[in-house]
Amino acid sequence: MKKKTRSPSDACRSEDITCKRLVMEALYDFEAGTMPAGERAELERHLAACPPCVRFLDSYRATGKTLRALKPREIPPMLARTVFQFVKARCGKKS
Amino acid sequence: MVDDAAAPTDLDLVRRIKAGDEQALEQMIERYHARVYSLSYGVLRNAEDAEESTQDTFLTLYRKIGTFDESKKFFSWFYRVALNQAYSRARRRRPGTKISIQEHLPRFREDGHLAALDWPDASVAVEDEASARELAARAEEFIGELPRAYRDVIWMADVEEMPAAEIAETLGISIPAFKSRLHRARLHVRQRLAEISRPAARQQAAS
Repeated sequence: MKKKTRSPSDACRSEDITCKRLVMEALYDFEAGTMPAGERAELERHLAACPPCVRFLDSYRATGKTLRALKPREIPPMLARTVFQFVKARCGKKS
Repeated sequence: MVDDAAAPTDLDLVRRIKAGDEQALEQMIERYHARVYSLSYGVLRNAEDAEESTQDTFLTLYRKIGTFDESKKFFSWFYRVALNQAYSRARRRRPGTKISIQEHLPRFREDGHLAALDWPDASVAVEDEASARELAARAEEFIGELPRAYRDVIWMADVEEMPAAEIAETLGISIPAFKSRLHRARLHVRQRLAEISRPAARQQAAS
């Protein structure tokens, strides 16, 4: 068996998963709920023992929340009408 | 006058527009103008440009509708028209200052563990409304730094909240490619937000 080296984040040691694998490869499906149950349980075990990954997950979620907040963008009033008039004028059509 | 009795499908409208029916054009504009504006804004990040790009997109629709293959989904063809129109305008306005997607990713130690806690407190930033607004503005800026392949995906998925299948179809990519691009793009934006949240941490890491 591979010998583990002691380190500050040794608390998050897991036999099968590293922070890198969780963050770079597995996080999308973990968050989207599209991950097989066994793999999900494995990640949850890692998270339970790895504060840096928990904080990373929090920040990943906070990023998503920030991006969603960009959505209620004000659509210029009368835009549909302006566009219709613009197209008609350019195409030389008459309503 | 708009008859709401039975909403026509996109294809119904396409065929009527091809036949020169202006009311159908008006209905199509009513149906899609907000989405087209929002997609255009994602590329141009300027209300005036987004509005003009929306106008040009519908003009292109009207002129090129004859080239639309009716066996395909209309929205994916049309969103591509909208994105191309916006990128064409963006190139004229400001030459891109794109960065590599590899440049701002989380850092790991050799053993695969996270190198540092680079985000001070994820919950604080979004509780305070003014900070949340500032953060959102910066996030928008960071999306703008991304190469187009990533930028389109994150804008459509996380800002527009469009379904994955619709985005993949529009961009002509597979679902795995969609997931991979979206995740990379999110990691980029997260990392950039982390960097501005804690500049001291960056200096420490660099020294």
